[in-house]
Amino acid sequence: MLIRRRTLLTASAAATIASPALAQNYPRKAVQLIVAFPAGGSTDVGARILAAAAEKDLGQPITVVNKGGAGGQLGFTEIARARPDGYTLGFLNLPGLNTIILDPERKAAFNIDSFIPIVNQVLDPGLIWVKGDSPYKTLADLIDAAKKAPGKISACTTGILSDDHLAILMVQEAAKCEFRIVHFDGGAQQLTGVMGGHVDCAFDNVGSVFKRVQSGEVRGLAVTDVERSKFLPNVPCTKELGMATVISSSTRGVGAPKGTPADVIKVVETAFLKAIESPEMKQKMDAVGLALKPMAGATYAKYYADTQALAKKYTEWALKQR
Amino acid sequence: MEALTHLLHGFAAALSLNNLLFAFAGCMLGTLIGVLPGLGPAAGTAILIPLTFSLDATGAIIMLCAIYYGAMYGGTITSVLINVPGEAASVVTCIDGHQMARQGRAGSALGIAAIGSFVGGTLATVALVAVAMPLASLALKFGPAEFFALMVAGLCLVVGLAGSNMLAALLMTVIGLLLAMIGIDPVRGAPRFTFGAEELYDGIGFVPVVMGLFGIAELLLAAEKRQTHMISAELKTWLPTRQECRQSAGAIGRGTVVGFVLGLIPGVGAIVPTFMAYVLEKRVSKTPERFGKGAIEGVATAETANNAYANAAMVPLLALGIPSSPTIAVLMGAFIINGITPGPFLFTEQPALVWTVIASFFIGNLLLLILNLPLVGLWAKLLKVPFSYMCTGILIFCIIGAYGLKQSLFDVWMMLGFGILGYLLRKLDFPIAPAILALILGPMMEKSLRTTLEISGGSFAIFLDRPLALAMLVVPVIVIGVLIFKPRSLSPLRESDVE
Repeated sequence: MLIRRRTLLTASAAATIASPALAQNYPRKAVQLIVAFPAGGSTDVGARILAAAAEKDLGQPITVVNKGGAGGQLGFTEIARARPDGYTLGFLNLPGLNTIILDPERKAAFNIDSFIPIVNQVLDPGLIWVKGDSPYKTLADLIDAAKKAPGKISACTTGILSDDHLAILMVQEAAKCEFRIVHFDGGAQQLTGVMGGHVDCAFDNVGSVFKRVQSGEVRGLAVTDVERSKFLPNVPCTKELGMATVISSSTRGVGAPKGTPADVIKVVETAFLKAIESPEMKQKMDAVGLALKPMAGATYAKYYADTQALAKKYTEWALKQR
Repeated sequence: MEALTHLLHGFAAALSLNNLLFAFAGCMLGTLIGVLPGLGPAAGTAILIPLTFSLDATGAIIMLCAIYYGAMYGGTITSVLINVPGEAASVVTCIDGHQMARQGRAGSALGIAAIGSFVGGTLATVALVAVAMPLASLALKFGPAEFFALMVAGLCLVVGLAGSNMLAALLMTVIGLLLAMIGIDPVRGAPRFTFGAEELYDGIGFVPVVMGLFGIAELLLAAEKRQTHMISAELKTWLPTRQECRQSAGAIGRGTVVGFVLGLIPGVGAIVPTFMAYVLEKRVSKTPERFGKGAIEGVATAETANNAYANAAMVPLLALGIPSSPTIAVLMGAFIINGITPGPFLFTEQPALVWTVIASFFIGNLLLLILNLPLVGLWAKLLKVPFSYMCTGILIFCIIGAYGLKQSLFDVWMMLGFGILGYLLRKLDFPIAPAILALILGPMMEKSLRTTLEISGGSFAIFLDRPLALAMLVVPVIVIGVLIFKPRSLSPLRESDVE
């Protein structure tokens, strides 16, 4: 399946030179889609729905390959080092990808130019939430409490330097308050922590928690976006609460390693964009609470660059604090 | 009694021909996944999710759950026959199961595993029906502090009950913990002890280590003896004898309780219950010296705890929507794709579906028993294959398993390296199991300790404020203290050995 890494680097150089002939009959065989997170997570769920839809247009099977671990770093490395011939694509998770690049301690083997962003699939905005019977009814309640007892109210993330972590930093900056930040490993641990009363509030994404908000089990305080989420029409967004700098989300799209020929990229873009914009995709993604945000070409490239710039500021801040 | 009515309706639905077929296919596929060492239940279930896309929701869930149980059982087969655990939870089964096979009792070991799995799984499902909701909310009180204490208690008990080899067991535990430190730091996110090798960023893989320490080491030891068969003993039994069943009855009961209780706590994983059940069994046994030398109770309790755990882990999922292990997380993903959101409202919103699925748990457990008992003889016959073929086969099987996990040759070399290490340790009579337990628990232990300290703002006093955590930290200290300072009264223990 995969060739050893060292040989890969030389092979990839050769492939770039020989590439123009490649695209004419691309794809001739199955395409691998690397997901840098374990099976069952929301990236994986979205990727599997997308792969099943896009392979019809691509005309070849698309296999989802989970390369989880190290907060996505292992999978991203795999994508960056893959042979750039269009047969290995991968999911780019922003801003997780950015913070790994920006943290020098992570010693990432890739940088922002190692990937070509092709099509975005999901934009899952952040959600600040508390237990259903929590005394904090609004975001203002929570912030007041944090101001009264600086560093005492615990706020948890789904991982260090995740979009949730950046969102906490954004709230701290905008409201001039200080939380006690607790890092959990993913949404399940976070849920156990909040529901068991071990932490006070949680920062996660709409897709992971919206059904619990709808059922009243947990209370959504704010969606960290410029508009309300269609899944949670009763939860205010941070912009309307006067915190326009608190805009955070997890976006996930398909990318390819640097050096993949432009005409191959075009084929991939067309097939995936068609799949993402299809009504069946919308129906399936609505069911799992993942908001589609189709972006391609220059729009997606700009978004990709902007995310890096925004993440830089908060990552540096987070690094200073530790 | 409303639950009972629902359950009967559930049985009616689950017993339809289609759903039975799905359960059957799931059990078969799952057993296969369990047998293949590189392919654990989590990866196996994930790969098979697309298979269920074309099914209706009930059928899909029934099949995936059956795959899960099947995989939990399948690992037993390789553990017993060739000392290679097919998945993490089967490590403990290797200890006595393989010894039994060496004595020609492979049939008994596999048979009691099938029976124990059935009893554990079924009783856990009964408990699930009866007490799912209240227990699940209670389990939430188990925070990072309690979690850390549980991990410490587990490791201490394993060391403490190692008998005369206590020092060796302690040494192996520490080595395991040191190996567990390799990889990305859980709080800072910086790589530790990786020497720049990115293959090590995600830590030392459990599968290659286990296959090396158990499987490859076993091959090296066998090759040294120049025997004609992997196991020279004649096959004596096809199924457990009546006496063996009587011996195992208590073990199966205790295994069920340990597996069920620990299964309720999110994040514990399958291996802790099996180890705890094993340690408990050895502790209550009148003849602890038989453990590690082919005690059927050891196999019975570990396999029972394993399946009781697998079913109990459904409680936090169905009642709270919290996936307590990676495999359950995959199942939850499949639930969601099929339009079912696990959580407190599942029972009220979609009772027909939930109860059908619960009924299918019973049916799945029964199917596994029916499937596996007749096959025991077939599996055990594998031991008659001449050593030269068997040895090559196992080596290929291990290499593919190590490679298949992450498609990484690095893991294959690591497995071979740990194979040589395992061979040396066996020669020196050092117990291997404590190192493995420490390797698995180490990252969880570290993460929960650091999360606890994040919550408390860096103060260790949090452990004093939480009675349950405190108790779990104090008990093992007492147990070890008693073992060290009162050696005479507990002399039988001193001759035995956890490994």
